Amino acid sequence: MKRVALVGAGVTKFGVRKASYRDLIWEAGKACFDSVPAVKPRDLDGLVVGSVMPERTAFQSHISSMAAEALGIKPSSLSARTEHMCASGTVGIRYAYAFIAAGLADLVMVLGVEKLNQPVTDEAILNMGTGVDREWEACHGLTAPPCFALAAQKHMARYSTTEEQLARVGVKNHTHAARNPTAHFQKGATLEQVLCSRMIAAPLRLFMCSPITDGAAAVILASEERARDLTTKPVWIMGTGQALDGFTLSSLPEDYAHWPAMKRAADSAYRMAGVTAGEVDLAEVHDCFAIAEIIAYEELGFCEKGEGGRFVEKGRADYGGDVVVNPRGGLMGCGHPLGATGVAQAAEVFAQLRDEAGPRQVADARIGLTHNNSGMGEHVVMVYGR
Amino acid sequence: MTYFRAVDPLPLQSVEHTKLHQFYTHLAAGRLTTTRCLGCGRLDWPPRGFCPECAGDAFEWVDLPREGTVHGFTVQETGIPAGFTSPLVFAIVKVGGLRLFAPVLTREPAALQVGARVRFVPVRVADEPKGAPRHLVAFEPE
Repeated sequence: MKRVALVGAGVTKFGVRKASYRDLIWEAGKACFDSVPAVKPRDLDGLVVGSVMPERTAFQSHISSMAAEALGIKPSSLSARTEHMCASGTVGIRYAYAFIAAGLADLVMVLGVEKLNQPVTDEAILNMGTGVDREWEACHGLTAPPCFALAAQKHMARYSTTEEQLARVGVKNHTHAARNPTAHFQKGATLEQVLCSRMIAAPLRLFMCSPITDGAAAVILASEERARDLTTKPVWIMGTGQALDGFTLSSLPEDYAHWPAMKRAADSAYRMAGVTAGEVDLAEVHDCFAIAEIIAYEELGFCEKGEGGRFVEKGRADYGGDVVVNPRGGLMGCGHPLGATGVAQAAEVFAQLRDEAGPRQVADARIGLTHNNSGMGEHVVMVYGR
Repeated sequence: MTYFRAVDPLPLQSVEHTKLHQFYTHLAAGRLTTTRCLGCGRLDWPPRGFCPECAGDAFEWVDLPREGTVHGFTVQETGIPAGFTSPLVFAIVKVGGLRLFAPVLTREPAALQVGARVRFVPVRVADEPKGAPRHLVAFEPE
C-alpha cells in the first residue's frame, strides 16, 4: 500500500450561517485550496463529499457532482458521497485514503458539509430524528440526546461519575473554542454556567450538548509522491479503524456506558499506526455530548474504564495534561454540522501537526488522533503523524 | 404553491406499505407481538423480515408479556422535534428477555424509577396520509 498524507485543509466559520448549502461548499473549498497554493481544482482526480441530510435540508441529492461543479473539480478516478450520520466525514476520508493507498487515485479532496438550521427550528430537530430508526425510535420523537443521557446515567451509577465531571468537559471545550475563530461559540463557559444551563435530557444540560450548526470543511489527501511535490509539511495517515456494535438501542450492548466498538476501532488504528494511546499528543474526539468524551477517554485507552470523569476533573485531558482532547473546541464548542465534523477534526490535526494552530497549538505535537462516531455503537478512529 | 409534507417520522403500517403489517394489526387490537424465526427459533425485538442468525425469512408472530421492567429512562424537556410535545419520557423496558425502546406515558415523570414495573399500552397516533389508523407501542406505570 502507498503512504497517504494530508496536504491541505480548510474550515468555514461554523454557526447559524446566513449561507446556502452551496455557499458553504464554496467557502470550505476556498479555505482548503488557500492552504495549499500548489494545488488548483483541476489538479484533483477525486472528490468525496460527506453529507448526511441535504435531501431534507437543501432539497438536494446528487451531492458529489454538485460539489465538484461548484469547485471546478473534474474527477477522473473517484467521485462519491458518504453518508454515515455523524461520522460521514471521517468515513469519507477513509474512502479517499483507501483509493490512494491502493493506487486508484492520486490527489483527492474530502469535503464535509451540512446546512442544518432551517427557518423553523423544530423542523431542524425533527430532521435529526432521521439518524435513529424511524419505525422503532424516531416515531416516538427520539433524537440523540436521550440516547446519550441513558449512557450518562449508567456511567454515573456504575462509576460514580458526577454531574460536575460532565460539566468539566463542557467548560474545557467551550474554553478551547474561544480560541478558535471558526467555532460556533466563542465566549467560553464557567462551571456554574454549564451546571445551571437548561436541562435537555437528564442529566445532560445545554452546555453538555453540541448544538445544531451549519458549516463545511475540506482536506486534500495525496499519495506520497504527490505529497512531497506539494508541501514540505505533509501530515501522514498512519492508521485507521472502524467498528460497529449496532444501530438501535435495543441491539446495542446492554451496558450503555460501555462502547466496545470504539475500543475495537481504536485498537485497529493503533495497531496499523504502530503507536500506543500514551503516545497521542492531541485527540479530536466526538464530544456530541459530555458523556461521549468521558467514555472516549476510556475506550481510546487514555485512562482505565470508569476513570473518565476523574480524568477530565484532574486536567489530564487539557493543555499540560496527558493528552490535549479537543483543542479546536470539540463538537460542543465548534458545533456539529454532521458531515463536516470529521473533516474539521482532520483539519485541526493537520494544523496542529504542522505547528500552525496559533493560540491553540499543542506544544511539540507529533501524533494526532481523530474519533468520530455515529451513535453509541458505531465508531471511526484515525491516527496521524507528522 | 402549497407545501405538503409527503412523509412523516411515523411508519406506514398498512399491508400496502410493510411486510410487518401484522404487527400493527395486533397492536391495534391490544396485542404486543414480535417475530420468532421458524428456521432457528431466534426471538428478536424489533420484529424482523430477515433472520441475522440463520439468514431465514420465515417467521411466526408470538405474543410478548404485557408487563415489563424499566431498565433505564430519561425525561427530555427541550429540543423536542416538530409534532411532539414536551416532556417526553423515553425508556428502555425489559419485556420477556428483550429490550424495547418506548415512551412511558405518565403525568409524574419524577416518580418513575429504574426497576419500576410498567404495563404495555397501544397508542393511537396520526392516521396514514390516506386515512388508515396508526398505533405505536407505549407503556404506563403499573
